[in-house]
Amino acid sequence: MILDLMIWAPIISGLIILMIGKNYGSLSYSLSIFSSSLVFVISLYALSMYDSSQTGIQFELITSWIERFDINYHLGVDGISFPLILLTTFITPIVLLTSRTSEKSNLHQYLASFLILEGLMIGVFSALDAFLFYVFWEAMLIPMFIIIGIWGGKNRVYATIKFFLYTFLGSVFMLIAIIYLYIQTGSYSIFDFYNIDLSRTEQILIFLAFLFAFAVKIPMWPVHTWLPDAHVEAPTGGSVILAAILLKMGGYGLLRFSLPITPNASSELSMVMVVLSLIAIIYIGMVALSQTDMKKLIAYSSVAHMGFVTLGTFVVFLDHEIASLEIMNLAISGAMIQMISHGLISGALFLCIGVMYDRVHSREIDDYGGVALMMPRFAGLMVFFALANAALPGTSGFVGEVLVILASLKVNFWIALLSGTTLVIGAAYTLWMIKRVIFGDVTNEKINDIQDVSAIELIPLMILAIMVLAMGVYPEPLMNLMYVSINDLSKLVFLGAGI
Amino acid sequence: MTFHIIGSILPEVTIAIAICVVILVNSLIRSVSAAFIHSMILFFLSVALFLSFVSLEIPNSNIFNGHYVIDSFGTNLKIIALIASILVHLASLKSKNNIKNEIFLIQLFATLGVLILCSAHNLLTVYLGLETLTLSMYGMVASNRNSIEATESAMKFFILGAIASAIFLYGLSIVYGVTGTLSLELIKESNLLDGLEMRIAVAFIACGVIFKFGAFPFHSWVPDSYQGSNTTAAIYISSVPKIGAFALISRLFLDSLNVMSEFWSILILSAGLLSIIIGNLIALMQINLRRMLAYSAIGHIGFVLLSFSIVNDGGISASMTYLLMYILMTISAFALIESISSEDHQHIELSDLKGLNNSHPLIAFMLLFCMFSMVGIPPFIGFYAKWIVLSELVNNGMLWFAIVGIIMSVIAAYYYLRVVWFMYFEKTDQPIENKGMMNTHSITSIFVSVMLLLIGLYPNPIIDYTRIIISSFLLID
Repeated sequence: MILDLMIWAPIISGLIILMIGKNYGSLSYSLSIFSSSLVFVISLYALSMYDSSQTGIQFELITSWIERFDINYHLGVDGISFPLILLTTFITPIVLLTSRTSEKSNLHQYLASFLILEGLMIGVFSALDAFLFYVFWEAMLIPMFIIIGIWGGKNRVYATIKFFLYTFLGSVFMLIAIIYLYIQTGSYSIFDFYNIDLSRTEQILIFLAFLFAFAVKIPMWPVHTWLPDAHVEAPTGGSVILAAILLKMGGYGLLRFSLPITPNASSELSMVMVVLSLIAIIYIGMVALSQTDMKKLIAYSSVAHMGFVTLGTFVVFLDHEIASLEIMNLAISGAMIQMISHGLISGALFLCIGVMYDRVHSREIDDYGGVALMMPRFAGLMVFFALANAALPGTSGFVGEVLVILASLKVNFWIALLSGTTLVIGAAYTLWMIKRVIFGDVTNEKINDIQDVSAIELIPLMILAIMVLAMGVYPEPLMNLMYVSINDLSKLVFLGAGI
Repeated sequence: MTFHIIGSILPEVTIAIAICVVILVNSLIRSVSAAFIHSMILFFLSVALFLSFVSLEIPNSNIFNGHYVIDSFGTNLKIIALIASILVHLASLKSKNNIKNEIFLIQLFATLGVLILCSAHNLLTVYLGLETLTLSMYGMVASNRNSIEATESAMKFFILGAIASAIFLYGLSIVYGVTGTLSLELIKESNLLDGLEMRIAVAFIACGVIFKFGAFPFHSWVPDSYQGSNTTAAIYISSVPKIGAFALISRLFLDSLNVMSEFWSILILSAGLLSIIIGNLIALMQINLRRMLAYSAIGHIGFVLLSFSIVNDGGISASMTYLLMYILMTISAFALIESISSEDHQHIELSDLKGLNNSHPLIAFMLLFCMFSMVGIPPFIGFYAKWIVLSELVNNGMLWFAIVGIIMSVIAAYYYLRVVWFMYFEKTDQPIENKGMMNTHSITSIFVSVMLLLIGLYPNPIIDYTRIIISSFLLID
């Protein structure tokens, strides 16, 4: 019931804004802030009701939907999906709050797209029926396509069509895999998929079909090429949602579908996955180093950081002798925390770039310099987020990466060492960008006229900074929230893979 | 007895009466207003629809010495055809001046042809129904007589159609030669062997059927006639005759020539698969919206045929589900395009859609529904259509066909997205003028488009309905 409310309240208010909002910009702005904050409050209420010591699904809801194919409207959350839902409900009001800092045509459509998107994203995280999951997963493409296409930059049409076709191509294979699993089990319930016996070939094919969908979303090297385009061209809000939440759906999908449904294939192909993750971490990190566009740089750094998510998901299978529940729990917790923390940090960085772009109308690093002189408050926050992005101890970025590296260290020293290089590369590209943008001399005359951040820009950044810091210093509550579910998942996967 | 016979064919009789009345009123009363004719036609169509619902109660029977069969399959198809005709009629009530009343008369003839096809149970009746339909379609395309394009496309359509009819008729005559009977029931009961003559006959008949569906390789009339005719005709041609073609293929192939199913399913399968590939690839290059929709229709029909070639109740009902959903989508697309076109601006091209989001936000939003539905994105009905066909394909071990189909639909997404792109992402100084009128036409087009979403949220009625119809059809026979 509570999940129902969280999915449909934003969608319905989005539709209302779409209908009435044409001439009432301020009203629809307030309405969108109101409804998204309401959803956030509801999610906090749900958090207070959630019992993190209990295994299994909570807030479960099943209604029959398409009887002939035994498809149910089946919702529920566990410790893996719930943090991501909280992230969604937390980020959306922030994005909506900042939507008026720059001039936009058809503001009501912009707000409505984000609200509808929010409902669909919560739907993705809470759907427990594979068909329903696919419906939300695909429907999400529509608002995102519109957001990048209408309010994006110069090259927006190319970027948005590339984004759409890439993700669409990825997910149709998932659809075939879901249909295949349905035919084998006679049900679309994800939990029925867990219990199915598949031959080795079937497992590998299904794993690959799912992987294709999730790898595009995460995105993993080499199917990441849509991301820099989409990020660069998207409006600030679009980039934030894209980085903070959309990418996490890939990671979530791996944990929800790939590992438990095809444990043997996951274990068998783990080497490939680990190598791809390392390429993302090291090679894409290097690529980020050479970017001249700030948004592109953060986009590539996202790919590199998401590499830790996939590394954490698969690293434990590398060595069956050493593999234990403990290491698996550690690695998956690391991956989850990395997802949440990357959601906060990259979202914040995109907001920061948005703030600068609204003033100078350029994303090129070379056009900046000496921003700290003119915008001291802003500069402080931006430096903080940059340090968090470089995994400074005490910030949330550190926790996730260190957990994954620790888990890798127990499995294989060299993998840990290679992934550890991110601490150097990540620091290099982020701090170098900061040095050129924030510090140094003023090279561009436009910088001389800019104003420091206004309250409406400052508040979201402050809130994000507090969250990043809190998670970095005291990640215990989040870990507790996830622990039981992660432990269940690990057990299930170990049982399936015969470790 | 006579009364019983007449009682079973009341829908057809109603349409025939409607035709006579419209002819009389149109020619006897000079000053009759178009609105009067429209409402009269609408009235008769609704009566026919009501009577078909009533005739669902009639037990299965053969009438006219077995030339005609009344069964729930035929009656249900008639209901669908009549609902589609009503929607088409409502959706075409826009530009009153440039459309002569005759076109609505011709549409009634075509509807009569479709109704006959739904119940025909003898090769002669089949051909009769088919020709009633086809000849009316020629007339419809040609009715835009001031346009050179229309004349050209009508000519092309006529020549190709005549050849297809001849081939079809030749196929029928071979069947008669081999079996010695015209009755579909007797053909089914005769101990046919899968011989060479029969294969030739089936291939010829398949040509005619594929032509009627407008699928590859007999698809070349589709884009021309969509483009040349006026929208009223185009909406009709893209929707209602496909139901007739579906009745034709079910009665001829599925029912009476079921023995040959191994052979004809290969023909239908290849036509379907190639239609999906060719239709969607050529559609990528179109800039005229109607031509684009025509090629996209070829692609959609490909899915209908592909699913039909599975030849079991699951596959056939998936095929019918796709067909129904396609008809809704095509009516919605054409009606929306019609609502932004005007008399002096009949040919909407992609570039005309620029800035539509600002000048006609509602129409643009509905067209967005329609396009994403055609791409196959949930929660719109186009997704369920694709999904149900893919499910049946995978279920019957045709995984590779499913993969080809799905990859083609990803490619097809590009040209549908291009429509959204021009409406939403491009700006223009000369947007299409918004007349801001709410008339029957725009209400219908919005209603149908909203249905694309609402049925998508709860697709059970269509899915269950087709399943029931098809299983009853396969069970009885």
